[in-house]
Amino acid sequence: MVHMANQIAQFFSSYPREEAFAGVTDHLKKFWEKRMLQQLHGYVAQGGSGLDPLVLEAEKRLVSAAKTTPALRS
Amino acid sequence: MPVIKEIDYGTPLSVAQTLVTLEIDGQPVTVPVGTSVMRAAVEAGVQVPKLCATDSVKSFGSCRLCLVEIEGRRGTPASCTTPAEPGMKVRTQSPKLAKLRRGVMELYISDHPLDCLTCGANGDCELQDMAGVVGLREVRYGYEGENHFSAPKDETNPYFSFEPSKCIVCSRCVRACEEVQGTFALTIQGRGFESKVSAGNQPFLDSECVSCGACVQACPTATLIEKSVLEKGQAEHSVVTTCAYCGVGCAFKAEMQGSEVVRMVPYKDGKANHGHSCVKGRFAWGYATHKDRVTKPMIRAKITDPWREVSWEEAINHAASEFKRIQAKYGRESVGGITSSRCTNEESYLIQKLIRAAFGNNNTDTCARVCHSPTGYGLKTTFGTSAGTQDFDSVEHADVILIIGANPTEAHPVFASQMKRRLREGARLIIIDPRQIALVKTPHITADYHLPLRPGTNVAVINAIAHVIVTEGLVDETFVKERCDAAGFERWRKFVAEDRNSPENMAPITGVPADQLRGAARLFATGGNGAIYYGLGVTEHSQGSTMVMGMANLAMATGNLGRNGVGVNPLRGQNNVQGACDMGSFPHEYTGYRHVSDESTRHLFEGAWGVKLDPEPGLRIPNMLDAAVDGTFKGLYVQGEDIAQSDPNTKHVTAGLAAMECIVVQDLFLNETAMYAHVFFPGSSFLEKDGTFTNAERRISRVRKAMPPMAGLADWEVTVALSNALGYPMNYSHPSEIMDEIARLTPTFAGVSFDRIDELGSVQWPCNEKAPEGTPVMHIDGFARGKGNFVVTEFVATDERVTARFPLILTTGRILSQYNVGAQTRRTDNNIWHHEDVLEIHPFDAEYRGIRDGDLVAIASRAGETTLRAEVTERIQPGVVYTTFHHPVTGANVVTTEFSDWATNCPEYKVTAVEVRVAKRMSQWQQEYLETRKRTTQILHEVGPAR
Amino acid sequence: MKIYVPCDSSAVSVGADAVARAISQHAITKQRPDVTVSRNGSRGMFWLEPLVEVETPKGRVAYGPVTPDAVPALLEAGMLDGKAHPLCQGLTEEIPFLKQQERLTFARCGITDPLSLADYIGNGGFRGLERARSMTSDAVIEEVVTSGLRGRGGAGFPTGIKWRTVAKAQADQKYIVCNADEGDSGTYADRMIMEGDPFVLIEGMIIAGRAVGATLGYIYCRSEYPHAFRTLQRAIEIGREDNYLGSAAGFDLHVRLGAGAYICGEETSLLESLEGKRGQIRPKPPLPAIEGLFGKPTVVNNVISLASVPIILDKGGAHYRDFGMGRSRGTLTIQLAGNIKQGGLVEKAFGLTLRQAIYDFGGGTASGRPLRAVQVGGPLGAYFPESLLDTPLDYEAFAEKKGMLGHGGIVVFDDTVDLAQQARFAMEFCAVESCGKCTPCRVGSTRGVEVIDRIIANRDREKNLQVLDDLCELMLDGSLCALGGLTPYPVMSAVKHFPEDFHARN
Repeated sequence: MVHMANQIAQFFSSYPREEAFAGVTDHLKKFWEKRMLQQLHGYVAQGGSGLDPLVLEAEKRLVSAAKTTPALRS
Repeated sequence: MPVIKEIDYGTPLSVAQTLVTLEIDGQPVTVPVGTSVMRAAVEAGVQVPKLCATDSVKSFGSCRLCLVEIEGRRGTPASCTTPAEPGMKVRTQSPKLAKLRRGVMELYISDHPLDCLTCGANGDCELQDMAGVVGLREVRYGYEGENHFSAPKDETNPYFSFEPSKCIVCSRCVRACEEVQGTFALTIQGRGFESKVSAGNQPFLDSECVSCGACVQACPTATLIEKSVLEKGQAEHSVVTTCAYCGVGCAFKAEMQGSEVVRMVPYKDGKANHGHSCVKGRFAWGYATHKDRVTKPMIRAKITDPWREVSWEEAINHAASEFKRIQAKYGRESVGGITSSRCTNEESYLIQKLIRAAFGNNNTDTCARVCHSPTGYGLKTTFGTSAGTQDFDSVEHADVILIIGANPTEAHPVFASQMKRRLREGARLIIIDPRQIALVKTPHITADYHLPLRPGTNVAVINAIAHVIVTEGLVDETFVKERCDAAGFERWRKFVAEDRNSPENMAPITGVPADQLRGAARLFATGGNGAIYYGLGVTEHSQGSTMVMGMANLAMATGNLGRNGVGVNPLRGQNNVQGACDMGSFPHEYTGYRHVSDESTRHLFEGAWGVKLDPEPGLRIPNMLDAAVDGTFKGLYVQGEDIAQSDPNTKHVTAGLAAMECIVVQDLFLNETAMYAHVFFPGSSFLEKDGTFTNAERRISRVRKAMPPMAGLADWEVTVALSNALGYPMNYSHPSEIMDEIARLTPTFAGVSFDRIDELGSVQWPCNEKAPEGTPVMHIDGFARGKGNFVVTEFVATDERVTARFPLILTTGRILSQYNVGAQTRRTDNNIWHHEDVLEIHPFDAEYRGIRDGDLVAIASRAGETTLRAEVTERIQPGVVYTTFHHPVTGANVVTTEFSDWATNCPEYKVTAVEVRVAKRMSQWQQEYLETRKRTTQILHEVGPAR
Repeated sequence: MKIYVPCDSSAVSVGADAVARAISQHAITKQRPDVTVSRNGSRGMFWLEPLVEVETPKGRVAYGPVTPDAVPALLEAGMLDGKAHPLCQGLTEEIPFLKQQERLTFARCGITDPLSLADYIGNGGFRGLERARSMTSDAVIEEVVTSGLRGRGGAGFPTGIKWRTVAKAQADQKYIVCNADEGDSGTYADRMIMEGDPFVLIEGMIIAGRAVGATLGYIYCRSEYPHAFRTLQRAIEIGREDNYLGSAAGFDLHVRLGAGAYICGEETSLLESLEGKRGQIRPKPPLPAIEGLFGKPTVVNNVISLASVPIILDKGGAHYRDFGMGRSRGTLTIQLAGNIKQGGLVEKAFGLTLRQAIYDFGGGTASGRPLRAVQVGGPLGAYFPESLLDTPLDYEAFAEKKGMLGHGGIVVFDDTVDLAQQARFAMEFCAVESCGKCTPCRVGSTRGVEVIDRIIANRDREKNLQVLDDLCELMLDGSLCALGGLTPYPVMSAVKHFPEDFHARN
């Protein structure tokens, strides 16, 4: 899971920071099933060691989006 | 319907724009310049007798039956080699011509056995027809003269026999081998009366022949004839359908006696194959009635139990109740299903519908996951459509062909022949592949550049090519300015121009000499129409999607999109990869690649299906298996796919399968996945069903039922029954109704229906109001997404790296005679060519390890170990080993790892760090496999019919 | 003192090399440093070969035939000083056989050292090229058109017209191909010029290249001509050294050796063979002038056609045209062979009768027996009886008599010949040499042999004569190329003119 998430971050790392965050967030939202996202949230909650900073930031955004958007059930 | 006989115009179609009008037997006819008098005559409804002419090959002028008289010209020119000219007045019949033709036939028959009544071609022989047409009544030369009656037969090929005593030396076979197939295996040996067709002075089986069948197709007599025809006789009716092997999607006539296939003959009006075929589609159809076919539904409680044959009703109800039980116990999302690229569009659509509507989740995926999912992602991101941009015929306009990670002569042979024809006409060729594939040097074709990169460095190579184009001023600025997003392009231009992306700086990573790479880049950018063709050597990498986008960038930067002869073209592995993806098989999107989170689309489907749908993506195949191992995924419906053999890291796959409580497998055979299944639905072959396949060029073609389903129900009927049993009603009386539903719900398919396809022969999506006849070439006036999107494609080396322990890279591929996991081809005589998978290893690496050609070797990665035989060859570069994966016992995927494409999870099959050593016996995995296979595939046969 | 000993195969085959060695040896032992032996081409008087010529103040004096055995006696008699001897033929130029000729194309052949560029230039060589260089390419072609030169390979197609077609064709590359696959029985004119005056062929090809815009030429030489092949190779090297050939000169040339198939003398088979393929007929159209070698516009001309171009350019088309008769302009290179007293090459304006050629030049049969038949134009030419000997050597006159001039070979037979066997031979020749592509030739020629055998054996003779007639008609009208299409000529002419050989036997 960490490997997969970091791979996504690596792809977007050559983009400007804001775009990169948006890219990773969008990708996770569009392609990761909820169990996988839950696993990610769980891992971050435990410290998220080894995760790319882009993933960490994207995860944060996913959590806050979930709180504000009822359509996204997680 | 009687046996379909296409019109033979004698000589190929001329595509010239200018027209000429001439008179044939007093009747005016207008044809394009370059049309032969013979073809013009056929257009005018006049058949000139002929034997050496057939419209699949260029005119040859050897039989001299088609002689005509032309006003104002001396002599009697051959109508096949005489071009039509304006005002020409042609007479096809006169006493003089009749005498000449009879004279020619008299000569032919003086050296032909008089065994018409017992001849295999009786009723389907052009020589016989012509003897009748010219009114031959006597052979005054007698039969004691020199002849070839005792020339020995060659029956070495498993599918056709060669009987030279019946040969009329028309050279149609030789020319078909050259012009249609491009293999040049046949020749005429000797001269004068001693002239004879020869496969290079050796039996057919030992020759260069690839058994494509073009020669058999071209032969006007029984000289080259299918053994199945010799055995069964002539067919009485035929059904036009679509081949179920690779993504070329050849149209075939299934020639039948009742419900028995006599032979499969490529259909001349097929727009993907134009009457050509390969050894698989043409001959390897025997699996459809192989004794291994399972034709009765079966269930069992545990996978260690023997299978018990049951009625359809019991099997379906059992499966439904299991799925319901599991969902009740573990939650709605604990089950899912997998559609197959082998099955029809209608079947794939129904499965994903069943999952989304009856299971109520999005846990649907397809085997495209493991092959071309990066194509979908990459092309959608850059162009806006998850599909190749061209039709196959486009290659005939290409000036520079760039092949990356594809091996068309093995994996897409019929398209390869079309491509080779263009290359022989002078198109230039660049190949990027770690291996020296056949096209690097094949008769009359030599690649201008072969860049033998290290596996896993595709993106580095494509960036370096882009670097050359950008820094040497070779960008098509006009195209980019008019058609692409400016900011994206500027960002990309800056990125690839960076010095670190130069060929010189990339060379140590890619292993490709910088001057070669520069040469190739310049050629691609300046050589005219540049067309990119690629295969799984692009997608099956950790940067598969990145590479697809890298190629799209390259095509946009050089202006190679939106017209004939250019484009970015995935060569799809299986017959319906494109279709399975189009049909909403992926967990995150509905038909037509619309995301499940898109409200308007979801509401459309909710309305049509009458259920609430999940707005979030479901599990992909590898995620399903992970979840199964984690204990949250318990039930799976697999139609026509064999993930236990085809998916990477077999040990992980089988662990996932073993952890589930109900696996339903629907297949022709008890495949590897079925070893872990609890319910088995006997599937039907393509000959047994109605539906459509969509090939690599987005062409939707009809699959037509030639025989009834052996198990009583067609696959789509089973899915419908299962859905009904699950409590979600489905009601279709024919697959055409399923397609109608797809068309209603999918804008790119809006104009598609079975009637429309029947009318047009086949149709390429998008097919809708804007393009009622379909769309051969995409993005002509603008990209589907509006402006073309350049994507920055940073090279990131895979984490799968060679180490002291695993110092070699394993990469995988296919061979012509076998198909994928081999379930079909292994059950045919194709095994004669490839009865086991071998490991190709460079002499240097072999020597270092004391490996000799033919040795049993063990190949080990961090995932597992298996054994197979070694073939020491320089086709492969040092440091890299190569194998195919057609035989389950090889266990190639025992060795491959869980690494995958960052965007789509498409497995990184093409790069695995391994070590190879001489082995004494089979690996432990293989021994256990054989044991397990025996234990889990026992069937307790029930007496009586299945229904 | 210059002594000439021909290096032509016709002389070499009867000991010319040994003769040359013996003379050189003699000059050394007798201390005659003034004696130099030069190897010239052949004068074309084969019954006198080896024909040794000695340069004298009066001119070149001929001795022949000088066999190696005869050399000591000749030297003893003072041959080196042009003294008398029974083998002395007097001044070469005065030998009637030669004196009566009109040598244009062969003007230098036999006079010069074939590989001496100085000899070539000193005897009028490269004057045609020089003139051509001062003209536009269109004007060069017009000069050839004016000359009335027709293809000397046998087909007789106007050379200038062919060039014009190639000149007009648009292409990135064009070729000049010289057909030197001289396969007709009793012919050797091509060989003689290639061995005796190779530069004239090269000059002709350079001019052709200039005229049509071709930069590359090939000479397709039959494998049975090893001497010619070597001479041409050396001549091309010399041509390159002196910048007549090569990329800087704008035209380069290569010689290719055939593989022993008669059919490769047919232009389209020749092109196939040059491309490295099996020598098989290509249907026409497309004409080689439009799609020839490697699919590019190509001039395919016979050796003699190309070798006649320099003199046409040098002296003007009109000069050449003023020789000959009717539509056959210029000179014909007649090659006398078979049962003939004085075999050899005669270059003479068209219009000479067959009888004049055979008797005035050839001196009648070698056996001294009455002449019964003559075959003109190679193995596919018609057999003429004595009664047709007054036919003039002219394309049209021969066609009228259902014969053909072909490449100009005349093969003479005396009264011991059996024309039924000759007819059989014609079919057999076709069967052996058929490329096997078209049915009338491939199967027909073999059946033809069988039918004639039945006729000879008096099996259903009348019926089989009818079958033979039908077969010949089919081969004539139905064959793809001239091999099958012309085989009926010798067969039917034999049946027609010598019916007694077919009917009156048991």
